[in-house]
Amino acid sequence: MTDPLETMAQRVAERVIDLIMDVLDVNALVGRVDVNAVARRVDVNAVVQQIDLNALARSVDVNPLLQQIDLNALLDRVDIDEKVLRKIDVNALLDRVDVNRLLQRVDVAALLDRVDVNRLLQRVDVALLLDRVDINGLLQRIDMDALVEQTDLGAVIARSSGGAASEALDAARSQAVGLDQFIDRWVQRALRRKHPAPSAPRALLNGQAEP
Amino acid sequence: MSARAQAALSVTAQGHYAGSVSRFLAYAIDLTVSSAVFALALAAISYIAKIVAGHQISWNRSNIVVAIIFVAWEFLYFGYSWAASGRTLGMAVLGVRVVRADGELINPWRGYLRALVFPLSFLLLGLGFLGILVQRERRALHDLIAGTAVVYAWDARAARLRFLAREAEPTARQPSVTGDVPAAHGR
Repeated sequence: MTDPLETMAQRVAERVIDLIMDVLDVNALVGRVDVNAVARRVDVNAVVQQIDLNALARSVDVNPLLQQIDLNALLDRVDIDEKVLRKIDVNALLDRVDVNRLLQRVDVAALLDRVDVNRLLQRVDVALLLDRVDINGLLQRIDMDALVEQTDLGAVIARSSGGAASEALDAARSQAVGLDQFIDRWVQRALRRKHPAPSAPRALLNGQAEP
Repeated sequence: MSARAQAALSVTAQGHYAGSVSRFLAYAIDLTVSSAVFALALAAISYIAKIVAGHQISWNRSNIVVAIIFVAWEFLYFGYSWAASGRTLGMAVLGVRVVRADGELINPWRGYLRALVFPLSFLLLGLGFLGILVQRERRALHDLIAGTAVVYAWDARAARLRFLAREAEPTARQPSVTGDVPAAHGR
């Protein structure tokens, strides 16, 4: 139960405060306060530590706030080239990127499905591409013997090249060459030649002429 | 020596100086063919004379006229062949050809010159041909005079591919396990 005297004292105090407030020029009073000095005396870190930022963030509805932001205007005001990109150490950034992991996440099949190969090929200058290809060098790297032995090309050649007559001719010529060289070896031994004889005329050895 | 090794040897020999066996076989073929053609021509002339004149002409090989005609025919056969393509029929069969001493193709006149001096190798008791065996460039006497040489000229590379293809073909002929019908080989 409240004391009647206390109740009376409270009413008097409220009345006095109202009278003072009516008389007091609060703006003038605030103008006389050195806010900077007050702010310097406030331990802001301590204040911030007491604030539950997460609770604060949860209570804020960010979406309406974001809707009010004109991102285009914001981006227009940002000088990305000068102020942002120059500060970024791209090499350091790339060092931190796990490219393999990144590539593992790339669906190459889906990527290729999106590529219009025909359109891509239309943009390729094939003539220029072929000019840069060393076709002779490429052909020299082909092992024709292995190609003929391991592919159906052999069967095609065998069927398209003269048949039995050609086969007999090849065999006869090969045998004749073998006998030539057999006799030549014995003649060279009999003559005891120290230096080997030239095997072919100069132009044929150098590839300047075809036999 | 295996057939494969033999074919490989032939590939490396392409463009090289042709040896005695190839050249002798080529000449034997040429002599056979040219003599056969000459004999056929004489027989044809006899037949025509019999029809036209009513009596048969007997060709005696020892007759000087026949001998001269035969020599002229041989000169024409060899000379024209060498002048036109650097090879006779026999040389084409054996895959050899006449080139200039430096390996370039011969001029027509050099082909005829070679045919003209060719008998010299015979007339010296066949010693003119000894150069094919002992001369460093396997050149006979008539080659030395005409400034020619004989080289292997057959497409040994293609021959080797054909050879390899024939060896690989039995593998290609085997029917696959999926039951495919093997391709027909019409040789």
